[in-house]
Amino acid sequence: MVLKNIFGLVFILFFVISGLTDKLQKKVDKVITSTFEVEVFSMQPKIVSQDIELPSEFSNNTFFEIKNNDTLLGYAYVSKAPSKTDEFDYLIVFDADLVIMTSKVLVYREDYGGEIGSKRWLKQFVGKSTSDDLVYGANIAAISGATISVRSMTNAVNNVLKSIKILQHKNLL
Amino acid sequence: MKKLILSISIIISGIISAQTISQDTTATKNKQQNAAQNILNGNSSKGITVGGYAEVDYNQPENANGTMDVHRLVMLLGYKFSDKVQFVTEIEYEHVKEVYVEQAFLNYNLNDNVNIRGGLMLVPMGIVNEYHEPTTFNGVERPNVDKSIVPSTWREIGVGVTGRFNEVSLGYQAYIFNGFASVNGENVLGGSNGLRNGRQKGAESTISTPNLSAKFDYYGISGLRLGLSGYFGRTQAADDIQDIDGADVGVSMFGFDARYINKRFSARGQYIHALITDANDYNALYDTNLGSELKGWYAEAAYNLLPLGVEQKLDAFVRYEIYDTHAATNEANIARNLAYNRNEWTAGFSYHVAQGAVVKADYQLLDNVVNGNKTKGQLNIGFGVWF
Repeated sequence: MVLKNIFGLVFILFFVISGLTDKLQKKVDKVITSTFEVEVFSMQPKIVSQDIELPSEFSNNTFFEIKNNDTLLGYAYVSKAPSKTDEFDYLIVFDADLVIMTSKVLVYREDYGGEIGSKRWLKQFVGKSTSDDLVYGANIAAISGATISVRSMTNAVNNVLKSIKILQHKNLL
Repeated sequence: MKKLILSISIIISGIISAQTISQDTTATKNKQQNAAQNILNGNSSKGITVGGYAEVDYNQPENANGTMDVHRLVMLLGYKFSDKVQFVTEIEYEHVKEVYVEQAFLNYNLNDNVNIRGGLMLVPMGIVNEYHEPTTFNGVERPNVDKSIVPSTWREIGVGVTGRFNEVSLGYQAYIFNGFASVNGENVLGGSNGLRNGRQKGAESTISTPNLSAKFDYYGISGLRLGLSGYFGRTQAADDIQDIDGADVGVSMFGFDARYINKRFSARGQYIHALITDANDYNALYDTNLGSELKGWYAEAAYNLLPLGVEQKLDAFVRYEIYDTHAATNEANIARNLAYNRNEWTAGFSYHVAQGAVVKADYQLLDNVVNGNKTKGQLNIGFGVWF
């Protein structure tokens, strides 16, 4: 009986904590572990008011606080963006001051534009913060043969930064 | 007992809330949609994808009548059975009246780095054979290296693996393909167009010996993308003649390509070299003039005249091309035809009026190395779309 209760509890905890699928969560965990160099961390949704219009989606399952014990290490943003005919999943990891520490394309689902997953290309976003305006082709380099996805990822990161700026402005972050 | 019911209900409510959450994250994944909605909502993780590309051209040679042509109109139709299994096909109308299937393959996504793929696929060689949508290259017409040396759109039925390693910014493709036909209906391989006549395009194609094709793409240097391609095998002969000398030829093709883009400047170039063995016997058997080497390259530079950050793009470009389908003829035991050693300048504009729609205009100077050959000029105007 006790076992079953615990089982139920674990079930709830697992899903409520991050609403990400297993596969996605594993990939996110890996990036966070290597970015913050911690083995143990918690990842809890940072709930922001639903009433504010933001350029990016900021629901339960997109924006997370990363903590080690009670120390805030930083934030993670997980979402989808369009590629040519499909969508890809991406992750942006911020430090506690909301400066981008790393970004990763978690799942890419088509041929065209898969090059945006390049570690080398994604490095361009490191160090960017709400004071930066990302412009495709100007301060974010293009990739031949991946124009659509490069634009899409650039827009996605730009919109997340803009959203954070709005939230900071309203003292919600 | 009450506790048991409670814990079960907790589990169930947990599952339900979990489902609601995952529905939120994937937006379209679990929603009921009919086919039309699926099409309209092209970005779903499952279901039907439609797309296409088209190019309509006007070619006006100097001192001759021009041609106007709906050169290509291609419908892309894809279906995603799951995140792992996808079918992709392209149905092509060429010059309005010719219908082809340009691609038709089933893809199985094994993991992040590996896809297994089989069916009618593009042979990865050079830039344009794979990236042939009109908004991705400058010039109304495709470069001639990608017509006479790489016979684009070059596709055959085969099976292989493809994927990428993003840690090292490397993409790879490796396939076993059916090869060119030695004789394709009435057509044989020859001097002017090299291997082009031999494309079987997956239409009741004859196979006697499989061919190998591979390409590596490296994109680890900002703005630069490099490609290295190889193709090895023999042409395919029909049963009744396959043991006769000259029934087939050996084909080895190597390609190197580079694309660079930095702010408003972009450039690309490629070098393709094909070696044909046993062309002497083939030429004797079929009374034709296939060279023993085919070779070509081009270099192109472009500059966007509009500021960055606006939706439109206006590229002014210039390209120089050399291609020779008789780069070597001694081993083929035929006379070298210098008219097949061609070169051309192309200069013009690609006005991208929206992402995916381009209006193009260029002027070409077409020449060859025959003594006293007069350079021919040609004006090309057209538009291209890709969606």
